[in-house]
Amino acid sequence: MLDIRRISTSRWWHKKKSWVLFGIFLFLVFVRISKGSFYKDLYYFISKPFWPGQFQKEVILKSLDQEYLMKFNLLKKDNIRLREILSLQELSNDSISAAVISRKTGSWWRQIILNKGSKDGVEIGSIVIGPGGLLGRVSSTSLLTSSVTLITSPESKLGVWVDRIQTNGLLVGLGDNYPSLILYSKDVDIKIGDFVSSSPASTLLPPNIPIGVVQTIDEQLKPTKTAKISLLAKPHVIDWVQILKVNI
Amino acid sequence: MNKFFERKLSLISFIFIPIIFLWHPNWLGLLGVQPYWPLFWLLPWAMINGPFNGLIFGLFLGIILDSLTLDNNFTQIPGLILCGILFGKIKFNSNVLVRHFRYGLICSFGSFLCGNLYFLQILIKNFSDSTFLLFIPSFKNILAEVFLTGFYAPFICSQLFRMFKFSKRKLQ
Repeated sequence: MLDIRRISTSRWWHKKKSWVLFGIFLFLVFVRISKGSFYKDLYYFISKPFWPGQFQKEVILKSLDQEYLMKFNLLKKDNIRLREILSLQELSNDSISAAVISRKTGSWWRQIILNKGSKDGVEIGSIVIGPGGLLGRVSSTSLLTSSVTLITSPESKLGVWVDRIQTNGLLVGLGDNYPSLILYSKDVDIKIGDFVSSSPASTLLPPNIPIGVVQTIDEQLKPTKTAKISLLAKPHVIDWVQILKVNI
Repeated sequence: MNKFFERKLSLISFIFIPIIFLWHPNWLGLLGVQPYWPLFWLLPWAMINGPFNGLIFGLFLGIILDSLTLDNNFTQIPGLILCGILFGKIKFNSNVLVRHFRYGLICSFGSFLCGNLYFLQILIKNFSDSTFLLFIPSFKNILAEVFLTGFYAPFICSQLFRMFKFSKRKLQ
């Protein structure tokens, strides 16, 4: 009788160690089923202080900037060399920095007045660019100031180039902030987001100056196709501009 | 010196019209459009000095403002001359409130007239152009200008009116 009682107290489920082992086994099963997600999440918290920090990001971005600058300079040199071979129009390197001293970017008149005039070498017909791209052309100069007709002015009509579809068009100012691009063909496949730059065929502007992006397309039953252009350079906020002489 | 300024107050303020026209303070504008500044000066001037003076100074204002804008094909002179004559024929009203309200209405009408005359010139010039797309921006310009001119006129015109009357009294 005594022997029976002894045997019954020595069953494995009466031992604490067995249950601990069983618990570990269940945990490992869970780890297996969850494909180690627990460990990965744990590793996330442990390794967090050692992640690549802001400093490393800055170093990489600086390297990227330098890489792009080098590529840009190489492409620019190539572009100048090829243009010389083909005897195409060239953009002058002479630029004059000027501040905007008067701005009429609403109503009927779309013009800005700059603080550099004929005394500083500004000529009528020079082009004015701001951060983003083309703003307009110098229409008149005084000794100390120059007046610029913006590309949003109804007076402005410029030849432009839509690069994706390799087509020339006419950019007409409408007196609002979105000039209209007129393409003299109904079948051109212009799309929203297409990039518009100055045309290589233009007699007023040097080629490849960024202008804007197609914002909306007017699908009317007309022989021409028109699109509204969102300008890259915003004349109503720009305070400093560059005046470039045009050698056309 | 002070007497000189008091007497010539109206003419001195005339010089500031092109300056404010060039200044183009955006914070006073609506949709990028400004009130039509010359009317604020022309209304009290023409009301005090009559239609002939209104015509002459409307012409002067038009010449100055045209020289400041780059649109060589269009002019503001006809609108300002017409406004000068019309404003000169307006009689004073004794009620202060009505007078202020009238300034707003008259300037709004003047701005509407000038805006439409300017738009008419653009329309005539581009009559044969099949790609003429200027209608909606032009209506926006006219409406915003009419609203703003009418809104500011009671404040500015009444002050200028008082100043001009004061300097005229000093002259007599």
